[in-house]
Amino acid sequence: MKSKENRKPEPGLSAIFEKEYHGKKLGLLAGIVASVITLLLSIPFVKWIYIINPDSLFQSIGVKEDVIGKLMSSYNLYDMLSFVKYTKQGNIGLFTMILLILAVASVYFNIIFVIRVFMKKKESKGNLHLYFTAKSAMIFNIALSVVAIVYMPFANKKIGTDAIFISPIVYVVLILSIIAYAAVKIVEKTEREIYKEHGFLYELRKNWVLFAMLVPAAVYLLINNYLPMIGVYYAFTSFNFRDGLWGSPYVGMKNFEYLLKADLFKLTKNTVLYNFVFIALGNILQIVFAIFVSQAGVKWFKKTSQTLMFMPYFVSFVILKVLVYNLFEYDSGVVNTMVAAMGGQKIDFYNTPHYWPILITVFYIWKNIGYGMVVYLATIVGISDEYYDAAKVDGASLVQQIRYITLPLIKPTFIILFLFSLGSIMKGQFELFYQMVGTNGVLYNATDIFDTYVYRITTTQPLSIGIGTAAGLYQSLFGFVLIMVTNFIVKRKNSDYALF
Amino acid sequence: MKKIKKLFSLLLIASLVISLAACGKKDNTSGNKNENTPTPTKTAETTDTPAEATPDISKKVDLVFYVMGDAPKDEQVVEDALNKLLLEKANATVDFQFSTWTDWTQKYNLELTSGAADLIYTANWINYATLANSGAFAELDDLIAKDAPNIAKSMDTSLLDQCKVGGKLYAIPNTWPEYTVSGVSYREDLRAKYDLPVPNSVENLEAYLLGIKKNDPKQGLLSVTTGESSGLQVAFDAANILNYKYPWVTPNGLPYGLAANYDTPSTVYDYWNSDDFVNDMKLMKKFADEGLWSRSALSDTNDADAYKNGTCAAVVAGQNPNKDIAAITEYEKNHPDWKSAYIAYGETTGVIFPAHATQNATSILASSKNQDRALMVLDLLLYDKEVNDLVEYGILGTHYEVDANGNYKNLSEDYKYENMNTWDLRNGDFKLPQESDAILNQMFTKYGELAAKTKFPNVNIFGGFAEDYTAYEVERSAVSDVMRQYLAPLQAGLVADVDKAVAEFRNKVKDAGIETCQEQFKTQWAAYCDEHGYK
Amino acid sequence: MKIKQSGSTIVFKVIIYILLTFMAAVCVFPFIIIISGSFTDNYTIITEGYGLLPKNFTISAYKTIFKAPQDILQAYKMNFYYTIVGTGIGLFIITMTAYVISRPEFKYRNNISFIIYFTSIFGGGMIPWYLMYASVLGLKGSTFAIWFPALMSPFLVILMRTFIKESVPDAIAESAKIDGAGHVTIFLKIVMPVLGPGLATIGLFLAIGYWNDWYRSSMFSTSSKTWELQFYLYDLLNATQALRQMAQNTSVSTADLPTESIKLAMAVVATGPVLLFYPFVQKYFVSGITVGAVKG
Repeated sequence: MKSKENRKPEPGLSAIFEKEYHGKKLGLLAGIVASVITLLLSIPFVKWIYIINPDSLFQSIGVKEDVIGKLMSSYNLYDMLSFVKYTKQGNIGLFTMILLILAVASVYFNIIFVIRVFMKKKESKGNLHLYFTAKSAMIFNIALSVVAIVYMPFANKKIGTDAIFISPIVYVVLILSIIAYAAVKIVEKTEREIYKEHGFLYELRKNWVLFAMLVPAAVYLLINNYLPMIGVYYAFTSFNFRDGLWGSPYVGMKNFEYLLKADLFKLTKNTVLYNFVFIALGNILQIVFAIFVSQAGVKWFKKTSQTLMFMPYFVSFVILKVLVYNLFEYDSGVVNTMVAAMGGQKIDFYNTPHYWPILITVFYIWKNIGYGMVVYLATIVGISDEYYDAAKVDGASLVQQIRYITLPLIKPTFIILFLFSLGSIMKGQFELFYQMVGTNGVLYNATDIFDTYVYRITTTQPLSIGIGTAAGLYQSLFGFVLIMVTNFIVKRKNSDYALF
Repeated sequence: MKKIKKLFSLLLIASLVISLAACGKKDNTSGNKNENTPTPTKTAETTDTPAEATPDISKKVDLVFYVMGDAPKDEQVVEDALNKLLLEKANATVDFQFSTWTDWTQKYNLELTSGAADLIYTANWINYATLANSGAFAELDDLIAKDAPNIAKSMDTSLLDQCKVGGKLYAIPNTWPEYTVSGVSYREDLRAKYDLPVPNSVENLEAYLLGIKKNDPKQGLLSVTTGESSGLQVAFDAANILNYKYPWVTPNGLPYGLAANYDTPSTVYDYWNSDDFVNDMKLMKKFADEGLWSRSALSDTNDADAYKNGTCAAVVAGQNPNKDIAAITEYEKNHPDWKSAYIAYGETTGVIFPAHATQNATSILASSKNQDRALMVLDLLLYDKEVNDLVEYGILGTHYEVDANGNYKNLSEDYKYENMNTWDLRNGDFKLPQESDAILNQMFTKYGELAAKTKFPNVNIFGGFAEDYTAYEVERSAVSDVMRQYLAPLQAGLVADVDKAVAEFRNKVKDAGIETCQEQFKTQWAAYCDEHGYK
Repeated sequence: MKIKQSGSTIVFKVIIYILLTFMAAVCVFPFIIIISGSFTDNYTIITEGYGLLPKNFTISAYKTIFKAPQDILQAYKMNFYYTIVGTGIGLFIITMTAYVISRPEFKYRNNISFIIYFTSIFGGGMIPWYLMYASVLGLKGSTFAIWFPALMSPFLVILMRTFIKESVPDAIAESAKIDGAGHVTIFLKIVMPVLGPGLATIGLFLAIGYWNDWYRSSMFSTSSKTWELQFYLYDLLNATQALRQMAQNTSVSTADLPTESIKLAMAVVATGPVLLFYPFVQKYFVSGITVGAVKG
């Protein structure tokens, strides 16, 4: 029924938007206008917030004389946070952060959109991709302006004044964006008909069973991963119980500055180095032993060695701790008992940091070799015998077979595992470090990683939630950027191997 | 046509949003007048309910009481009996939850952060004042009159005053005055057997331990490990030995390496940057080299029972007269030939003061939804003899009995005296005498006499101070981390070159922001001394 | 077809056998120490340390444990509960999700894959995560908070998706669809039956994760009745409270308790069952692991 209507567009607004103008639909032009205006208004010189009644504001937030000088009468999108700091109101800080994130997102999408329109890149599905970008940009514009408008009464209420006033340009952005959104939606609709593309609602109706099957996972991810992400806001606050988690004073980047001064470099270095060695050395040894096992001809030997090498994976970290302690303890540890029996000097493991990077790596590999080996073994087993038979006929030696058949064929598995573990290069292995090192501060310089640091700092000092979360946020962001860059490079080289 | 309609409706919605926002603003300006009055804090809000003569208990409430340590075997049995009483008297039940001694600092802090409990054990050694300052606990001043008639009537106001932080009450102490003077528990039988000196000074303690080592190489000497205290005073247990030299190393002293003599509390000096510190650390290294403790001590876990089991010959940290009594009782039962004796550090330095009220106290979490009922229950737990006896001793006839002399006698290993670790619920009036009381009273009399001779007789000048470190909390966290990393090995004597290690520690702790901490602390401390006339 | 092995190949094979034997020995060595220690007289451990063979053979540690096994049995019971519930539900969710993102007709499969993968590179950190369960949901002390957080991991979903793609060709699912089968039918009747090795593999990973966890008990348990086995062990090794409890139950005085060897015996008792379980799933194991990229 609808399609019939679309085939004969009625005169009116939609027809106007459908009109071609310089090779582009007029609907897109509306989007461009909205985008350009938003972008212009988002540059730092344009003020979004005015303080209309400074005296009452100063009274309410109780700032001292010296601070008043620093306060301005108006703020743009980006220096609002500097103002929030003085209000000592956590909730406004959170709100402002959201506003800022929205602003950055909307600027990003608007720029992408404008660039796309002028690039004239023809894609497989016409302008659909372009419309999608346009719609994203408009949605963020709308969200940004609505949040900014709501911000005004919210901030005023929290501070207890009516001094904060939102500039009228925000309303301009809102109205323009809504019009542009509708216009793009209209032009998109006819084009969709052409390429038989459907919107989200259509997909939902058609494949609702598949969507329903995703619900449990969605609930899990929401509770366990996505909702807690909001908590990264704590990284910008100085926690106290009275104001609670969301109301504690907003302190800007103070926690990060502090980390930078104290431990950030050491922690980054340790975490990245350990994980890199774990990943690189671990994978190499796993591949080597997977090849060995696959080449061992005797079946029972193959099976037994595989089983035995897998056994450490079953050992919990709690037991690993007992093991390590009993091996390396000074007075009665196995190693020192042996050393003493052979007439050597006992080794003071627990007070000598430089042994520990080696010990921790050894035990990581010990624990994981069987597990990783099996993953590679599965790939090797999957390689067709024909390759090897052909090679044997050609007179290739065993080493040559490995070099020219096995290794190239397990390369994809290696790259995927490598990239996958790269994602967690900034975290992971908390239990390994926590159980092996425990509270022994002497070893921290060589063994402290982000996870142990965050755990220690937030749980031994009840008020350090801010600094702990800041370390966690930095850790997450660093890992995120790292994986994005790596993936980008891999994608450039060979898109088959890219993670996403 | 349809599309135009759609567009118009979109515009309509947009304008609606704008007008709504505008309305919101208007509404708000009118509401602002009320908002201008100081916003009532969360705790105050709950007390805003009109005061009644008898609080409303028509609704049954389940409370959680978070206590330290591990649960006794018969926790459930006692809890059931207790809840039967509490349901009758306050229509409430209490579920005791235990921190376990494994990672207890971590767990206690996580519990506070999550705010799941209603009643919680608190004490100066777990930073009561700081936590109260930052709003973790509910203000009780107004609630007491209404919900806790017994506390209001019978509790010594001077005790309550001691629990006040910034003029407000956040905790209810126990009512059993004691001396928790720290000191050394040692094996008197071993000392006598090998004819060793009484360990009443650094030198004598060393001689005592070395003597045991010489005569019985298999006997463990000290069980020491990294300090779990978040008080930022000592990083390794063995450093408590220095209490013999200085009266201020004790848990009641000053943090951040600051020190003040008891007679001149307002004169604060920087111990970590003094020559004394270097010499003391050299002393610790000497002890470590002599093998007084294990070279793996920093990785050892805290073995709270080592002394009771006889695997160490002395305890130098975290001791108090009551713990020694516990060891004596244990020995009498299992090893009649073992004897334990106690030397308080204060006996050597002459500085002894009674325990502060916040040594053992109970708070109500600010996040609790049932603050009134929690306080009512606390009132009963402390002042209702039936309830109090149940928590402290268990079930009469099953877990304990009162013998012919009127003494408490334990009947079951499943629930011993104060097995729920409710030291905060001791009521001096109800406390049953025990056989070991004679020794304890003897100790207390001795300490009482010594305490009377100090400049501030029988006053705990440290206990009343509440540090507010919200302004330098990051620095403080960093300092505590540096202490673990660099001070602990120094105090454990496990460094190769003391001078170098001291220099490194000083550098690191400076980088961490020790100066900020010290500055701010000194200012607060000076104000406190001034206020109370501690010159 | 028998091809004569050259000399270098034989040397290479010998090296392989030697290295594999060595590695297997290294992997087993610590187990031997723990087992031998658990049979060694306590006093010998304290004074002389451990060895590869028990010096003064005794089974007193095991005797003590099994004289009053109620605490360890409780921990065992809870661990079985968490492992079975967690692995069961986890497998169900993982397989279902993997099925959806393996279907080519599902337009948003790549987006969903990314949403799942994203959780492994970005997170809110420990405190927000803890607060989510402890205060927002108020689940502190519940058993739910112990098994729920480990139900799935991005890696396992991707592993399962690759497995489904390899073992169920799109054509089969497509023809079933033409025959009128819905997704539920395809999932249950066509996909599930061929997933044996995949389920065994992922189930084993999940189960080991659950069996060996102590951290969630440390975070969320409020009573020793809900402790995981490994946390019980951790507490035993750390605070000796559990040991004291044991002494009390067996009416041995704490001082006479073979503390050191008990710790090791406990380690044996806690790890044993999983080790015994492994050979049974091993035959499915290798064929179950095939790794593919995140994108569809």
